[in-house]
Amino acid sequence: MNVREWALITFTILAQMSVGSFIVLGIVHYFTAKKSGEKQADELSDRALLAIGPVLALGMAASLLHLGNPINAYKAVTNLGTSWLSREIFFGVLFAVAGAVFAVMQWKKIATFTVRNVVALVAAIIGVALVYSMSMVYMMPTRPGWNVITTPLSFYVTTLLLGVLAMGAAFVANYWYVQRKNPGCASDQCVLLRDSLRWFGMASIVLLGFQFVLLPLWVALMAGSSSASATMLVGEFGIVFALRLALVFLGAGVLGIFLYRAASSPGQEKVMGAVAYVAFAFVLVGEVLGRFLFYATATHFGLQ
Amino acid sequence: MAKQLGFYFDASACMGCKTCQVACKDKNDLPVGVNFRRVWQYGNGSWVPSGKLWTPNNVFVYSVSVACNHCEKPSCAEVCPTGALAKRADGLVLVNADQCVGCRYCEWACPYGAPQFNEAKGVMTKCNGCEDLLAQGQNPACVDACPMRALEFGDIAELRAKHGNVNAIEPLPVATLTFPALVIKPHRHAQASGKGMGRIIDLVEEA
Ligand code: SF4
Ligand code: SF4
Repeated sequence: MNVREWALITFTILAQMSVGSFIVLGIVHYFTAKKSGEKQADELSDRALLAIGPVLALGMAASLLHLGNPINAYKAVTNLGTSWLSREIFFGVLFAVAGAVFAVMQWKKIATFTVRNVVALVAAIIGVALVYSMSMVYMMPTRPGWNVITTPLSFYVTTLLLGVLAMGAAFVANYWYVQRKNPGCASDQCVLLRDSLRWFGMASIVLLGFQFVLLPLWVALMAGSSSASATMLVGEFGIVFALRLALVFLGAGVLGIFLYRAASSPGQEKVMGAVAYVAFAFVLVGEVLGRFLFYATATHFGLQ
Repeated sequence: MAKQLGFYFDASACMGCKTCQVACKDKNDLPVGVNFRRVWQYGNGSWVPSGKLWTPNNVFVYSVSVACNHCEKPSCAEVCPTGALAKRADGLVLVNADQCVGCRYCEWACPYGAPQFNEAKGVMTKCNGCEDLLAQGQNPACVDACPMRALEFGDIAELRAKHGNVNAIEPLPVATLTFPALVIKPHRHAQASGKGMGRIIDLVEEA
């Protein structure tokens, strides 16, 4: 592992986290606005929205570190016809622009709710395309450990899992901020926060289920396509792999249940907040380790 | 059909001396760790005792010299995000260092290990068929350096007419990934790509 690979880990994780956050936030905002009105929904999530931009920007900055000659970075979108790397960068920039346009519209309340929803939907679709091209970059016959269906599938699960838990943490942070300005937990905001966190807890458990189907599937497919990778994963990197499984299981599963339960009973906001933070931290570290293993166990087909 | 330049390699004649590799290194002034042309030793076997005698058991070894094959379907150029790696009209696949962003994606995509990163320059480098020598009507440096006359360079259609169509033996990968512009005269022990009984040996090299 070197700077170059850590740059790729940072970029892919942060970019996926921002796409996931954007999608999750959009869904929550939409349903909250339907139920309790726009004002309440904005109060719940507008500040979280503004956190997504810097995360994406940080990820994109990190991606420059894996280039030997970053001065030419702007030329890297010239081969859209055949290069998934070009497409990845193209959709990355497009997602950043669409997301920023939406964030400004939402923050300044430009245009109607419906128009803003359409813009958000477009940005979300670009985000989905971004994650798809990110995964296709790794689908090459010369990289057998990557060239398996679990690569795109697990990129999407990571995207949503990080999105759900990052937004869980962001909502809690936002809630304490609102509370400090306007104390009293009987407010609608408290109810909305609990509603969303209950939903996040449930979603993270479901996503964990997907993750625990994909992980063994990955190992199995990899054992067929690149036995050296599979051997490394359970041998040399066995401890990291075990840690990765444990962290995601604890964060998304065990703490997901706690989150759901704490959010179901009023008056438990402190516990709920702590659980949301820790769950996010566990899953983030778990996913980073997972991405580390993805690169670290890669083998090359042919001469290298 | 479009013009396509390529290499011919006679594995039956090659003795694994690596003169081609060194000639390339010298001609292109390559740093340690970068070798546009490399010679791989492929072999296997063991010795088994029978009484007081040790007899060879399937012992074989042969060498394969390979550089960039200027493939007819170059996966390196396909994945390159900047278009720095591209196929020229004469079939040569070349890196334009002014375009290269140093992402090393081509390195992942090439099954022959041909694109090699130059750390000092921050860009990808690879065999360019000695295009400057070609322009003067000369051969690439490796071809003229070989003491066994095991290498030839030229129009791949002509080379195929002269030497046949074999384009993959171990340790080279199957040819269907990139369709290399390469013709090989197999060694008598040559193993089919992907079905070899041996392994790459003689890996220790600091050049
Ligand atoms: S050998 Fe590798 S670098 Fe050369 S053309 Fe083929 S794929 Fe590209
Ligand atoms: S390292 Fe250079 S030549 Fe290779 S894919 Fe990247 S931009 Fe293209």
